[in-house]
Amino acid sequence: MTRRRTTPWPLILLSPGVGLLVLFVLLPILLTAWISLHTWSMYTPLSQMDYVGLANYRGLLNDRTFIRGLWNTLAYSGLSITLILPLAFFVGQLLYRGLIRGKSTLRAVVFLPYMIPTIAVAIIWGYLYAPLYGPLNQVLGWFGIAPRAWLGSVDQAMISLVIFNVWQTLGYYTVLMVAGLTQIPAVYFEAAVIDGANGWQQTWRITLPLLRRTLLFVVVIAMINSVQVFDPVYVLTQGGPASATTVLSYQVYKNAFEFGLAGKASSMAFVLFLVLVVAVAAVMRLLRDPTGES
Amino acid sequence: MQRRLLMAVQYLVYALIVVLMLFPLFWMVASSFKTPQELQALPPVWLPSSIDFSAYARAFSTVPFARSFLNSFVIAGGSTLGILITSIMAGYVFAKLHFRGRNQLFALVLSTMFLPPIVMLVPLYKIVQSLGLVDTLAGVMLPNIANAFGIFLMRQFIAGIPDELLESARLDGASEWTNLWRIVFPLLGPAIAALVVFAFTFHWNSFLWPLTVLQSPDQQTVVLALNRLVSYTSAIKFQNVVMAGAVISVLPNVLLFVFLQRYFIAGIAHTGSKG
Repeated sequence: MTRRRTTPWPLILLSPGVGLLVLFVLLPILLTAWISLHTWSMYTPLSQMDYVGLANYRGLLNDRTFIRGLWNTLAYSGLSITLILPLAFFVGQLLYRGLIRGKSTLRAVVFLPYMIPTIAVAIIWGYLYAPLYGPLNQVLGWFGIAPRAWLGSVDQAMISLVIFNVWQTLGYYTVLMVAGLTQIPAVYFEAAVIDGANGWQQTWRITLPLLRRTLLFVVVIAMINSVQVFDPVYVLTQGGPASATTVLSYQVYKNAFEFGLAGKASSMAFVLFLVLVVAVAAVMRLLRDPTGES
Repeated sequence: MQRRLLMAVQYLVYALIVVLMLFPLFWMVASSFKTPQELQALPPVWLPSSIDFSAYARAFSTVPFARSFLNSFVIAGGSTLGILITSIMAGYVFAKLHFRGRNQLFALVLSTMFLPPIVMLVPLYKIVQSLGLVDTLAGVMLPNIANAFGIFLMRQFIAGIPDELLESARLDGASEWTNLWRIVFPLLGPAIAALVVFAFTFHWNSFLWPLTVLQSPDQQTVVLALNRLVSYTSAIKFQNVVMAGAVISVLPNVLLFVFLQRYFIAGIAHTGSKG
């Protein structure tokens, strides 16, 4: 490809896709940053914003609900990733190297919940968790475990949301893991077997180091997905009980569309964005290949 | 001997995973057929005594599910079609055409893939409002039409098509437009299938953006209708109605998955290995 005529084709073919991305993604995110420096009621035109500098952000520092929401968002994401990463690796290994038959059925079954609207998942689990009429406490009772309040308890509500997030998304991350596993050349394992390495050693010395890029990708995607959790909080807990499950995205929505506080909501949204950028950058640094290859 | 033991353990784990993954779905379907008495029985009854569809009728009469099905099909279908067109065109440019700043522009496009919609929600709503599209299906669809993931997927796939194919057509005087639709497009089958199932289920399932834009009852999507159903009838004796609604909302995606599963898996594997 040495011909470098200037043709109009790149411009023509790119403008619908890139133009819409600029209009509906890049412009809005700049607007969010701009609006966050103002007080503005959602119900008035954009021209009636009052510039207040960083006052919204200073307000957030003293806003206990917001601090709680920030903490809850981080807890939800952290817990989700902590559970998803080993489980997806484990199921991925079972699917890729397991001795069993019927692997494609297993893969389909694990993946199935990912297809379902999160609202439906939340509703189903809401009934599973029902303290009296739900099956979960009943099953625990068979093993002599006392019933729990699940979503109704300040201590258990958050982990209850995390559990069904893991249930819903595990299949997606498992497929990513399998895709990564298939890229590890089989000769490494063959050589390891000849050298007398057992399964455990193979996993720690070969699989995990060579899976670094996939693990990094899974963590980043899981972070992006869980940091914006909204649907289950909206439909099941409304942030309760006693702000135990209030999360940033829920507060953004509530402040903007229920209280009309667009400036405050935008400052929260921008904090969410910054948290995500910092977290992704930190993970990239932490899990980066020490040899410098991407 | 050790191998046999290992295999037995693996089958046990297999069974455990299947039970854990399917039990919530079983509970959804079983509950949708239970009578109010069975729903309020203690200890909980696991299987309904008869297959009774009255909860489904009740769900359809409580919220306009039929209408919302149509709305969801328009939104998910329209968004998907838009994404296909913009992604194929942009993906072709990023894969096969050369111009100054191409890689920087592609990086910019990719960076939008990971921005949570909640961060843009307020300005996005204002933009759609200023276009007069609040409470319309078009208002929901419009920001969906360009999608960085779609562009990325198409670019990856088109990059694998040999340049020689395009070069010979160019020598014959074919324009890039002809090249794209006559030569590249017919080769995109698997990529299109993957993008269709992804985009369709994603927009069928989405909640926050339709919730923000749509207000009147006859503009609701299936997922919004389900949300309404819960807020009307959350008492335990109406669990059958809510679960019937959940079954209804889940059905199109499950069918899509059963028939097009391999395209999903291929699509995800593609992003994972090259991402």
